[in-house]
Amino acid sequence: MKNFLFFALKILILIFVVAVVFDITYSQVFLMSNNRGKIGYIYNSKPKEYDVVILGSSRANNHFVTQMFKDKGLETFNFGMQGSKLFESDLVLKLLLEKKNKIKNIIIDIDVTLRSKKNSEATILKFYPYLQSSPVIKEHFSSLPDFYLNQYVPFYRYAKYETKIGFREMFFCAIEKKSKEQDFGGYSALEKSKNLSSENLLNIEPKRNQYYEEIKQICKINNINLIAVMTPMCESTKGINYFEKVKKLYPEIHNYENVVVEDKYFSSCGHMNDTGARIFTARILKDFFNK
Amino acid sequence: MFFNSLAFAIFLPIVFFLYWFVFNKTKSSQNALLIVASYYFYSCWDWRFLFLLVFSTFLDYYTGIRIEKSTNDKGRKFWFWLSIIINLGFLGIFKYYNFFSTSFAQMLTTVGFKASPILLDVVLPVGISFYTFHGLSYVIDIYFKRIKAEYNFVDYSLFVSYFPLLVAGPIERATHLLPEVKVKRTFDFNQAKEGVCQIIWGLVKKVVIADTCATYANAIFDNYSSMNSLSLILGGIYFAFQIYGDFSGYSDMALGMSKLFGLELLRNFNYPYFSRDIAEFWRRWHISLSSWFRDYLYIPLGGSKGSKAMQVRNVFIIFVVSGFWHGANWTYLAWGFLNAVYFLPLLLLNRNRSNIDEIKLNWNWDSVRTISSIVMTFCLSTIAWVFFRAKTITDACTYLKRIVVNREFTSQYLVNERYNYEILLMIGLFVLVEWNNRTRVEPISGKYNTVKLALAITAIIAFGTYSDYKEFIYFQF
Repeated sequence: MKNFLFFALKILILIFVVAVVFDITYSQVFLMSNNRGKIGYIYNSKPKEYDVVILGSSRANNHFVTQMFKDKGLETFNFGMQGSKLFESDLVLKLLLEKKNKIKNIIIDIDVTLRSKKNSEATILKFYPYLQSSPVIKEHFSSLPDFYLNQYVPFYRYAKYETKIGFREMFFCAIEKKSKEQDFGGYSALEKSKNLSSENLLNIEPKRNQYYEEIKQICKINNINLIAVMTPMCESTKGINYFEKVKKLYPEIHNYENVVVEDKYFSSCGHMNDTGARIFTARILKDFFNK
Repeated sequence: MFFNSLAFAIFLPIVFFLYWFVFNKTKSSQNALLIVASYYFYSCWDWRFLFLLVFSTFLDYYTGIRIEKSTNDKGRKFWFWLSIIINLGFLGIFKYYNFFSTSFAQMLTTVGFKASPILLDVVLPVGISFYTFHGLSYVIDIYFKRIKAEYNFVDYSLFVSYFPLLVAGPIERATHLLPEVKVKRTFDFNQAKEGVCQIIWGLVKKVVIADTCATYANAIFDNYSSMNSLSLILGGIYFAFQIYGDFSGYSDMALGMSKLFGLELLRNFNYPYFSRDIAEFWRRWHISLSSWFRDYLYIPLGGSKGSKAMQVRNVFIIFVVSGFWHGANWTYLAWGFLNAVYFLPLLLLNRNRSNIDEIKLNWNWDSVRTISSIVMTFCLSTIAWVFFRAKTITDACTYLKRIVVNREFTSQYLVNERYNYEILLMIGLFVLVEWNNRTRVEPISGKYNTVKLALAITAIIAFGTYSDYKEFIYFQF
């Protein structure tokens, strides 16, 4: 039995050592690559001076055409991420400042994201490779339920989210394979949809959101001009008065919900196609930057 | 509580510790602990079905004794059939009733009567097919006087409910496992070490091979109408490795953890994808079920004796019943039927036992023929797996038809955000490791044990699939 207990101990040590070695290796590889995802781009790029930073969910990612800002002489990057909620937008902003980036203006899409205070599981996993090395991420994630497992159990986070930050992603980072996420300054264009199904906002109530409040606070402290906007929805959206409720809750948010309405400008009810996004971006440039 | 879950990783060491350090004085205390652990393990699925398990155990225990004690044939027959009818009755109600009811209603509708099936809102108790077959083999063996009835209820309960084999086999025989549980087990370091190696290899098969293949196979099978020929072929191959890794991985873990408790279970898989014909495949795949059907169905039906027509009939019966055992769906019946069709030429040409020797390869034409036979057998079994995996027979046929008519062999990006060919290298490596160790139970133990252990652990940690958590396929049977 003594021999067996030694054998079992040997296996446990092996598991621990392998997990630690892989944890360090994966983290190091992610820390060296800046051309895979948007978080890697923030974390591993040299500090920049941005005229405009775009934050938000896919409704920011698909609606603000970065190149149009650049054509007007504004250094811009679209950090909008599919599935992202205000929890993650807040963290992106904190991370940009932690990495000593200078920002003059922030445009943030705030509308349907106000319905939930929760984080987006699909988006937060993109931050996990940097958890050990970023005090900002560590602090921001400290309230999450499995924070201690992710922070202290070696390789736990890479195993748990292996489809997104597992071996495959690490390998692509190691060979410096470029991802499409950073193309076109972070803007992702959508195509026109043939069949548009309507969005239902009837039973959704906007709520005050601590992460939006935090974003406002950070912008104030850092002299950043915050432009909060509601972006367009298709004509057939049910419960469109949701946007009026948002306006009542936060009067400073600019309502652009009905700037583009025709179905031909949409890919899905909540997401404009490239043509719609260009019309909308032109309006934003005119209204806020006189360009 | 899955074998590959964190809860089980805590449960197993606790049981191991109690077994060897607290309850190690007598055979009875060892068995009692394993029974309690097994019932706890089973109740983690659904405690309500624990009553069914205990009832089934008691039924077979009691009828076994009554059969043995009966002084006349009438009494023996009564208790024997009582046990068979109740056992199969439970299986019929929980597993097959809704299928028969729906099929009967459909048949009536087809011939012009309006009928809607009366369905039962019941969940299939996990492992019912396995523990029912344990009990059946025990009662049948007593009836035919192959074994004596077991009078110790705890020992008998352990034979039926032993947790490593409770929910997905292997299907043990009373002649094999009961004698083992009737003696006090003493700790054997080498046996336990082998057990750990087998558990780790089982985990490699499950989380590295099966679960990874599953994400690709699901992406292809669930969207087969938009897949090209290459993707569909790869989908079949991925599912073949998924089901093999999943079930043989589970069996390896069950066998391995039994070795930790000083018990040896029946081997369930013997590298089936290296078979040279379908007959050999079925001697190597799910061995405990194949041999169960051979001993309790095929041989009583006449087996390979009698006229060729009778032999053909017996082969079709055993394969179709075996298919139906897997689940109440026409696809499983079609899978069994197809395997019988594959088997038929071997039976008619008296070649069903021509490949019983060990596979050896040299640099000659015989080896080329052997490799061709192995590839051919794998292709045939993969075609049959399409029926096993598809939701309906129409889906399976359309899937296979599309392979032939589509004729596009380009890489495709799947819904799991991967290219269709991405895991071929991993499968190739796995096949290579299995081939080099085909004469052994598992490849880890033996020479360079520590290095191989480290590699296996590395594979589990780095290449395992954890985010898309999957239960074992055979739990649904």
